[in-house]
Amino acid sequence: MNEELDSQLSAMFDDELPPAECELLARRLSRDEYLKARWGRYAIVGAVIRAERGVRLNAPLAGRVNAVLLAEPALAAHTTAPRDRRYARLRWWQPLAGAAVAASVATVSILWLRAQTPGGAALVAHVPAQVNVASTGASGQGDSYVVPRPKPPAALVPSTELANYVVAHSMFSNPVARGNLLSAFMTSETPPGGAEEPQSDVKALAH
Amino acid sequence: MSADASDLSLVRRVQRGDKGAFDALVLKYQHKLVKLVMRYVRNPAEAEDIAQEAFIKAYRALPQFRGDSAFYTWLYRIAINTAKNAVVSRDRSPVEYDLDRNNNDESYDMQGRMKDSETPEGLVLTDEIRSTVNAAIDALPEDLRTAIVLRELEGLSYEEIAAAMDCPVGTVRSRIFRAREAIDRRLREVFEGGLGRAEELG
Repeated sequence: MNEELDSQLSAMFDDELPPAECELLARRLSRDEYLKARWGRYAIVGAVIRAERGVRLNAPLAGRVNAVLLAEPALAAHTTAPRDRRYARLRWWQPLAGAAVAASVATVSILWLRAQTPGGAALVAHVPAQVNVASTGASGQGDSYVVPRPKPPAALVPSTELANYVVAHSMFSNPVARGNLLSAFMTSETPPGGAEEPQSDVKALAH
Repeated sequence: MSADASDLSLVRRVQRGDKGAFDALVLKYQHKLVKLVMRYVRNPAEAEDIAQEAFIKAYRALPQFRGDSAFYTWLYRIAINTAKNAVVSRDRSPVEYDLDRNNNDESYDMQGRMKDSETPEGLVLTDEIRSTVNAAIDALPEDLRTAIVLRELEGLSYEEIAAAMDCPVGTVRSRIFRAREAIDRRLREVFEGGLGRAEELG
């Protein structure tokens, strides 16, 4: 048996071992007959030093108690400690609380992810609009529901008047600048007035 | 250092169903408990019976032990109540033996022992254990002897012993351990020899 273990046992016997070490050693002590015998002899040494006269130092008391307790059920088998019982009464709400916390975290995560994805801002921006629809629907003032189209990113699209002006005065303009302006005009799919449409959707929702 | 941590860790194990841990508690406190009970009954054999009953009561009541007080304080209270009840019930029943309470402790012990049929080899072994431990203590170096006596006789904590002996707490722990080791080496020989003698007697 190693000396460190025996030293710990001696300190534990005197209640001078840190609680964490006590936990580990208590487990070992309860199973290890060698340690238990040594532990018992430490008690005898103490009894002799204190001159506990009349006490039989080799009394079979521990064996007798042990024999009686063998017939008893282990404590944990039929009962729990009072503190555990008190906590057991509180345990019913723990799964509910756990589920509530998990749901909250999931909701926040989804909203955050939507906010991070391209176009997510538009999705998030829809939420108040839907709330408005629900409220107006409830009051019976509006029956229609128009989903606002996502607003396209603002692009530099020249107006038709500007294009005509550039073509008419092409002889006076820089060829490079003229080329850029016209190519932008030709490649643009959105008509110059199209950017106004979402505003009309918002107006429809307001009704 | 939290006081009573070792007892509490054993108690928690018992509460979780580990009977072996209770055995360690009995081994630790059996002599103290018998000594305590002998203030009430004087007869060592009867004191052992009462101590046994107290331990069993304590085991059954352990689920109610919350650790608000030290385990040994709680155990002692059970033992005292058990001893008082035993004295009351004995006084009500026919007297099996009578002790002159004016006599000193030693004569009580002797009368009690003579009533105990189990004691002949027990007495011899107890005396042998006592003389062996005392001889081993006398043979210890001064610093080890002082440390173990301050601990066991005066009940000082390691910190208090360190202050008294002007040394670190770690040194106190080591001295007490080495003292116990030296005594235990001698004690083991007695137990091994004692058991053999007991078998011969049987």
